[in-house]
Amino acid sequence: MEDFWIEAIELTQSVIDGLLFGSTYALIGIGFTLIFGAMHKLNMTYAAASIAGAYVGLVVFVFFSAHPLLVFAVSSLASGLIGLLVYLICFRFIPVNNHLAALMATVGALFFIDEVIIHITNASPLAFPALFGAASFDLGAVWIRGDLLFVFAASVASTAALLYVLYRTRLGLATRAVSQQNVAAQLCGIDVHRTNATTFVVAGLLGGIAGAMTAASVGVLSPLLTLPITVKGLIVTVVGGLGSIPGAIIAGLMVGAAENVFLYLRGVNERDIYVLLLLFVFLVFRPNGIFGKSINRD
Amino acid sequence: MLRVENLVTAYGKIKALRGVTLEAREGEVTCLLGPNGAGKTTTMFSIAGILRPTSGDITLDGESLRGLGAARVVGKGVALVPENRLVFPQMTVSDNLHAGAFSRRDDRKRQRDMEKIYQRFPVLRERSRQPAGTLSGGEQQMLAIARALMARPRILLMDEPSIGLAPIIVAEIFRIIAEINREGVSILLVEQNARMALKFAHRLYLIQQGEITFSGTPDELGQDEVIQRSYLGG
Repeated sequence: MEDFWIEAIELTQSVIDGLLFGSTYALIGIGFTLIFGAMHKLNMTYAAASIAGAYVGLVVFVFFSAHPLLVFAVSSLASGLIGLLVYLICFRFIPVNNHLAALMATVGALFFIDEVIIHITNASPLAFPALFGAASFDLGAVWIRGDLLFVFAASVASTAALLYVLYRTRLGLATRAVSQQNVAAQLCGIDVHRTNATTFVVAGLLGGIAGAMTAASVGVLSPLLTLPITVKGLIVTVVGGLGSIPGAIIAGLMVGAAENVFLYLRGVNERDIYVLLLLFVFLVFRPNGIFGKSINRD
Repeated sequence: MLRVENLVTAYGKIKALRGVTLEAREGEVTCLLGPNGAGKTTTMFSIAGILRPTSGDITLDGESLRGLGAARVVGKGVALVPENRLVFPQMTVSDNLHAGAFSRRDDRKRQRDMEKIYQRFPVLRERSRQPAGTLSGGEQQMLAIARALMARPRILLMDEPSIGLAPIIVAEIFRIIAEINREGVSILLVEQNARMALKFAHRLYLIQQGEITFSGTPDELGQDEVIQRSYLGG
């Protein structure tokens, strides 16, 4: 009986940690979804650009011993800039109807970024600063890690800022208009290319925060992070429903929690197998995701 | 005021417009009639800057609009109500109207225009918080017209505003078009509904296979026997 309670408590602890860390997956998922909404194309480079942004942040930390908050800010800005470059290289001048070319360009850029990072760092992981790593909050049987709580709070704040921009500003109005009815948006006087470029920058800003958060909660930054985060981001996007921000948030938390539960139950070697199975379950039984509507354009 | 001269627009190698010339005069309703695939929508998209013509010119009071791109054409005072309405389905009615005013920066006047729009289209006020995709076809058409009006156009281009609507709604839409025109907005209208066009237009053009084959007043058109037979079923 006592064993059962210990198990239950540890499982709860896993779920809590997973939900908190899952907020970074939610951010990445939101980024994928934003760009998909604007272009109706996947940007496979997105997660790699986020990690690359975190690397730039790390440079500021290593060479100028900057405060972790500044490191996060620099990561975010750098990733936003990389987002703009990715837009210009992989989308802007590729014909709108050539989906495959854009997809391959972003896959190429993903590996390019990966290779650059490996080349510069000799593929060795580098320590990344965490905020409130020593703090923890005791809630009786379970406790909450300070660094994860910070990650969660930062993700919530970033998401809130994004929603504010999308629903309360001129830029957000343009972004939504372009993603829902491209031709009508142009007829309203909205510059589609500029709006799309801005969407990539905004998504990049979020991604940089997510990249830095991931590195901060893992404790290290490594090129080995890019592929798993790309895959998790895509799972979140599919499970949440392509184009749905609420879907990405819920799916991000779900994937984070599920990952930790499988980690607890089956160990680190099997964890991702079950997370991927989750993807297939959704693709088969709910291919449009939690919030996905059958895409209907007038 | 709006002149289209010798306009050629091609999709790849296929010329959809083969030298279209027409003029929409200040304060008038000009109507472009023609069968499916004749180049009516292509003409409208070329004027609005969505499509890039290969040759010819489009001028508004002598100033060329060709090659400006859609976003800047709106700023010059030419707004298009596109075929099939193309409202932003998941945006609220009110946000659709705000998007229509995107090319303008004058916040205070915009608020006043919004109020005027709601007076003209009371149903849009009732539905202002509703996603545009949940509106009926007629309501969406009114929203599309209202959205274009939010840009404060000097000339309003309308591509088949009556398509797919019940006769009673069509009558209402044309009543609104006439009203807008009386308030000083010039109108260039594409229609398949020849009877409606004859009733409201000051001047008509007939387009067939990318070429203008007739131009004149409704009276003149009414006298043309061939056109009588093919367009008015009489």
